[in-house]
Amino acid sequence: MDSSSSQEFDYLFKLLMIGDSGVGKSSLLLCFTSDTFDDLAPTIGVDFKVKYVMMDGKKLKLAIWDTAGQERFRTLTSSYYRGAQGIIMVYDVTRRETFTNLSEVWAKEIELYSTNQDCIKMLVGNKVDKESDRVVTKKEGIDFAREYGCLFIECSAKTRVNVQQCFEELVLKILDTPSLLAEGSKGIKKNIFKDKPPQSDAATSGCC
Amino acid sequence: MAKLEAKLGMIVDSVGNFFSGKDQLPWCDPDIVAGCEREVAEAGKQSDEFLQECLLRLSWALVHSKRSQDVQRGIAMLEGSLPNTSDPLQQREKLYLLAVGYYRSGDYSRSRDLVERCLMIAPDWRQAVTLKKAIEDRITKDGVIGLGIAATAVGLIAGGIAAAVSRKK
Ligand SMILES: Nc1nc2c(ncn2[C@@H]2O[C@H](COP(=O)(O)OP(=O)(O)O)[C@@H](O)[C@H]2O)c(=O)[nH]1
Ligand SMILES: [Mg+2]
Repeated sequence: MDSSSSQEFDYLFKLLMIGDSGVGKSSLLLCFTSDTFDDLAPTIGVDFKVKYVMMDGKKLKLAIWDTAGQERFRTLTSSYYRGAQGIIMVYDVTRRETFTNLSEVWAKEIELYSTNQDCIKMLVGNKVDKESDRVVTKKEGIDFAREYGCLFIECSAKTRVNVQQCFEELVLKILDTPSLLAEGSKGIKKNIFKDKPPQSDAATSGCC
Repeated sequence: MAKLEAKLGMIVDSVGNFFSGKDQLPWCDPDIVAGCEREVAEAGKQSDEFLQECLLRLSWALVHSKRSQDVQRGIAMLEGSLPNTSDPLQQREKLYLLAVGYYRSGDYSRSRDLVERCLMIAPDWRQAVTLKKAIEDRITKDGVIGLGIAATAVGLIAGGIAAAVSRKK
């Protein structure tokens, strides 16, 4: 691949995070991209982070879109499902309604707005550090994931347990899916014309 | 006049692209703006609260748009509605969106003032922290670039960028 020699990455993937407000989407993203955990203010509309990772010997650029879970932003956030190769559905293991809303709301949103048939879905049960408050069992998560054809993991943005694994498993699965891989390299060609900044070092500085 | 505007729009656009390697604010496509616009038009029949929600979404879409005329309209909308906003949560959301708008239009000093007000209200507000970093990045290291653009461009907007850049450091 000669195009990769002039690029700082081999593939570009778009990932999307959805789920009720307060389940920890932004915290997971922050934990993954900058290894920190804070008390966060609710996301306004849509947020966006880039992370560069090496996986399977390939340099990947992950563009991760974080959405506000609040109802009032929903028509706005629904536009960002388009073209995502991976969707991360998050619920809070200590709040039952965030789990029931997965089938009531979020699975339907994916059905309606995702443009990508092969798109990989990942179900994430967050806040396992609050084990004594847990109301959704691991088994329920596993069953849901099986029914909807998702990957599944339980994690905690606070203790960082399984956060890296969550994104890694999702991306490995994307890398394993030829149609998504093809899209990921298409994104780069477009990128050369549209997004490539003249000083390319700036773009990689967030990498490690 | 229309032609000049179009040209300025283009210049601002290319400024946006030029920087986008480090820009970690989301973009918004014209069809999203159009969708929000439709919602606002249809919301008139429903409750005022619903209309306010639609308007907030529209201003979100406008200030995140790739088209500079959208950003300008978003700024005007937010400036207009801020004085009538008493709810503190809505107020700080609008302050943040206004900061995004000024950032995208190149008025970094005004954007920084606004984002600092946001952080005074909520110091741990990560989106605001990110925006502040982006602004400071531009202000410190883009002095040269900003002036380069001003040299090739005529008109208000480019002048505004240069002024903003040279005023701060
Ligand atoms: N105990 C615990 N709290 C968490 C965890 N993840 C997020 N939180 C907290 O849950 C609240 C909502 O998190 P946030 O990331 O804003 O949720 P979002 O609305 O889904 O983006 C914040 O106060 C976080 O500090 C976690 O794994 N464990
Ligand atoms: Mg959030």
